[in-house]
Amino acid sequence: MLSPPVDMACLNVWFKILQQQRTFIQMRTILKVVDNSGAKKVMCIQSLKGKKGARLGDTIVASVKEAMPNGKVKKGKVVYGVVVRAAMQRGRCDGSEVKFDDNAVVLVDKQGQPIGTRVFGPVPHELRKKKHVKILTLAEHIA
Amino acid sequence: MRLEKCWFCSSTVYPGHGIQFVRNDAKIPNDTDLDMIEFEFCYACCLIVFVVENCSIIVFVCVCNVKDECNVLSLAGYVFRFCRSKCHKNFKMKRNPRKVKWTKAYRRLNGKDMTQDSTFEFERKRNRPERYDRNLAENTLKAIKKIDKIRVAREERHHSQRMSGNRSKDSKEAAVELEQSIHMIKAPLVLAQDKSRTLPKLQVKVSQPQAEKNQPMEE
Repeated sequence: MLSPPVDMACLNVWFKILQQQRTFIQMRTILKVVDNSGAKKVMCIQSLKGKKGARLGDTIVASVKEAMPNGKVKKGKVVYGVVVRAAMQRGRCDGSEVKFDDNAVVLVDKQGQPIGTRVFGPVPHELRKKKHVKILTLAEHIA
Repeated sequence: MRLEKCWFCSSTVYPGHGIQFVRNDAKIPNDTDLDMIEFEFCYACCLIVFVVENCSIIVFVCVCNVKDECNVLSLAGYVFRFCRSKCHKNFKMKRNPRKVKWTKAYRRLNGKDMTQDSTFEFERKRNRPERYDRNLAENTLKAIKKIDKIRVAREERHHSQRMSGNRSKDSKEAAVELEQSIHMIKAPLVLAQDKSRTLPKLQVKVSQPQAEKNQPMEE
């Protein structure tokens, strides 16, 4: 139950990630899949919104690069996904900004319904605005 | 709307300001757990401390041990909020707020600011929403001014107490400096001619270095 005291040493892993300049999710960006659809990693091949690429909450078209052997989604399939975490900061409605550790996606079908039945890790509350309430209800933590 | 505290400098983050970084392991207990938990802001180490009663969850740890109830539980994920890019950059540079002099964490840890005071109790994080009550709101607004006045007075007292030893020390140092470096103001030749311009001799003890034996230089 006891854990070592919180100090900067345990944060070091995150700092490494933080120091890079982060940008849009564009073609060939590899994203982590944070649901139980069976896919593990996908590569973005198209952003459905925005010229430069997708940001937090946007939908992308992706190709499955890594998948579990007996999941719903197979390797090589073209899927739709909602970006639930992005390392690039995104403005919030009150003017502040939010950013996450990594780039993560939840796979959805063309109607926007999630393929998996669980969502792992924190997701932003902006998804409600984008009409992805289902993902929000499945999520562990809403940031 | 909630006024959050900056993770680095512990100043207030007003709505629309700053940036927040959500770490991947961020987790928050669900509503039923929340009723059992009290959040506290530990001013000495500037971390949010969750005081949990009889439940096995969470949470964030207070390292300073100033408070008795700050027992180490387990570490939960965290949302880092920063009031401005200065704090965010310092975080990215891996700086420890307890070692950076301008942060509240440093000042509290080193006794520059008050740490334990009853006025801080009002600034606690409460997770139960308060139902609007006109009288209550009115009284609260009145109380804010009063409490603020008290807090400022106490802070002033703390400051004056901290500075109390300085005056005699400063004057002593000034006297020594005047004695030793009067030649900076008046040339020694002038002082030799006109005795009235010199200061009366002060007796200053100087520790005499012990005479060393003349050792041959090493080659």
